Amino acid sequence: MSTDTSPSTDVNVTPAPAAAATTRMKSPWSLVALREVQVKLTDRNFLLGTGATILLIAAVFALQGFLMSGGAPSFKVAVTDTAAATVLTQAEQDLQASDPEATVEVVEVADTAAAEAMLVDEEVHGALLPEGEGWELVTNGETDGEMLSVISEAVRTTALQENAEAAGTSMEALTAGTTIETRDLSGGDEESRFVAWVAGFAMAMLFYMAAMMFGMAIANSVVEEKQSRIVEILAAAISVRALLTGKVIGNTLLALGQIAILGAVALVGLTFTNYDQYLSMVTEAFLWYIPFFVLGFLALACIWAAAGAMASRTEDLQSTTMPLTMGLVLVFIVGLSLDGAAKVIGSFVPVLSTILMPMRLLEGSAQWWEALLALGLTAAFCALTIAAGTRLYRRSLLQTSGRVSLKAAWAGGE
Amino acid sequence: MLAVQGLTRQYGELRAVDDVTFEVPAGRMIGFVGGNGAGKTTTMRMIMGVLAPTAGEVVWDGHPATLADRARFGYMPEERGLYPKQPVLDQLTYLGRLHGMSQTAANTRAKELLERFGLGERLKEKVEKLSLGNQQRAQIIASVLGDPLALILDEPFSGLDPSAVDQMADLLREHTSTGVPVLFSSHQLELVDRLCDGIVVLHKGKVVAKGTSDELRGNAPLRYVLSLTGDAGWVRGVPGIQVLDLDGGTVELEPETEEAAQRLLTEAVSRGGVREFSRVRPSLSEIYREVAAA
Repeated sequence: MSTDTSPSTDVNVTPAPAAAATTRMKSPWSLVALREVQVKLTDRNFLLGTGATILLIAAVFALQGFLMSGGAPSFKVAVTDTAAATVLTQAEQDLQASDPEATVEVVEVADTAAAEAMLVDEEVHGALLPEGEGWELVTNGETDGEMLSVISEAVRTTALQENAEAAGTSMEALTAGTTIETRDLSGGDEESRFVAWVAGFAMAMLFYMAAMMFGMAIANSVVEEKQSRIVEILAAAISVRALLTGKVIGNTLLALGQIAILGAVALVGLTFTNYDQYLSMVTEAFLWYIPFFVLGFLALACIWAAAGAMASRTEDLQSTTMPLTMGLVLVFIVGLSLDGAAKVIGSFVPVLSTILMPMRLLEGSAQWWEALLALGLTAAFCALTIAAGTRLYRRSLLQTSGRVSLKAAWAGGE
Repeated sequence: MLAVQGLTRQYGELRAVDDVTFEVPAGRMIGFVGGNGAGKTTTMRMIMGVLAPTAGEVVWDGHPATLADRARFGYMPEERGLYPKQPVLDQLTYLGRLHGMSQTAANTRAKELLERFGLGERLKEKVEKLSLGNQQRAQIIASVLGDPLALILDEPFSGLDPSAVDQMADLLREHTSTGVPVLFSSHQLELVDRLCDGIVVLHKGKVVAKGTSDELRGNAPLRYVLSLTGDAGWVRGVPGIQVLDLDGGTVELEPETEEAAQRLLTEAVSRGGVREFSRVRPSLSEIYREVAAA
């Protein structure tokens, strides 16, 4: 047996060890991080899940864009005289006041019969014809409510103008004191509040989902190493700290990458809808959101790793990660329900601030320095949780028999 | 050279490893024997730095072993495994890189060893798809990747089939031949006897015997077997000779001195009909049982 194998491979004459000596610079944690990323990027479930989320977001915006694409009103109306044309010009002006892309096209025809013929052929949406003292709007089938209201308004305006002139006064004099303007103390109009709420909710949701998913991924990856018993080989080759750092950084990068892709899809999607005027507002908030996301995620990452280390089998994970999952659910619910002063205070509480501060920035109720302060607080909190998580992780990583209690993990030796 | 000096590990009231001192000289293979719970695994974990010692230190080439030194020790823990869902070559390459090899070097070396252990066709297979025997071969490869400075192997032979035992033994000899010190624990004493240049016997956390197997045998009491054509009953009456076992013409005896033994042989020859007179070399298991019982 030994005669046919041993001469073939003398361990020290192979080229491999020589090369090893010159490339010992690559830091171990980056190798661990790289592996975490590679494993995830070759995991079909992960790829399918991410792909499905991207498609879902794209679909939401596509649907939104589709529903609104018929949005800019456009009517074609047949007339038999210039008075009607004047009314329609007025109608178009009224429409364009709220939607610059709206049009009212005037089609001049010879007489009522010709107008009705066009209606029958569905070449026009309606015909505006003189009828006694007033007007008659002829349609074929259902009358478009918007067309009726805008033409009625234009008819009134035009008539008022003529009547005023006839009475020797002016339209302005006649309608003086009839205007009403609105003033909103919140600063934004209803639509922008709606966009801010939706964007804030979406970011909160994304953080909740990503923190849960990638946090669980960290815990899983730790327990997998314990369960498969490769952990002692790893711990002997590199420091436990490097192992933990690599895992946390790898998964943070994955989470960040996913959020960046989803965010980019959403922002591009936004330009296809009628809300594109809010693009800069949402983009700015999203750029703030990224550091909040990263720090908020990091604040929990080492704790997730500790939860993984305290389990010894995948089955134990549910109980060891319970405090984290409950905590995240709580943060999500509280984050969405807070209002007023509580919301302002909450926007400085680490992790909770990842949900609340971007919301406040979207609403325009937070200053940039408030965001920076909240980020600083989260960073300080991160330092604490990383220290605590590392301690728990180190002390329970090599306990392969059964679950490690929090108390034992905290007090245990290394 | 690898040395452990006064290594101690306390678990609450229990002193699992108590002031253990021994050396593994360069190019030597040292067997680490002892019953279950004797403290072998704890000692090896402390050598690898996976477990912090309560007292004592691990010395590599004259200085306390650093993280960087240990990164280049090959280690096979008692509780071992690989990532079940990663292809075997990928994962060995990864482990090689953790030991400081470049991607190419680690890949080449892992491939080379896999081919040598008959896994050349299975490079891309996930570990969980390999047979148990092949998983163990992959495990062996994992422990020697990365041009190790020393090898610390906890029960490397347990569960191996005879051909894998031979492959493993060859691999270890290759390493010692290039000056790598090898320490391995085993319950298979014949194997330890066959492979090792020296042994360290641990019992209840303490070193109860150490040295080469000849040195250990040297301490063993002098014993002979005398086999005669006729009845050997007369041996009982010879002064300076203690009879341990008598069965017809064959007697096992313990002489007080070498001279007493020679006088006995002379007498036996003069009586005629000596078939055999030989020194009894105790097996390692016997020595082990003796020191462990003490």
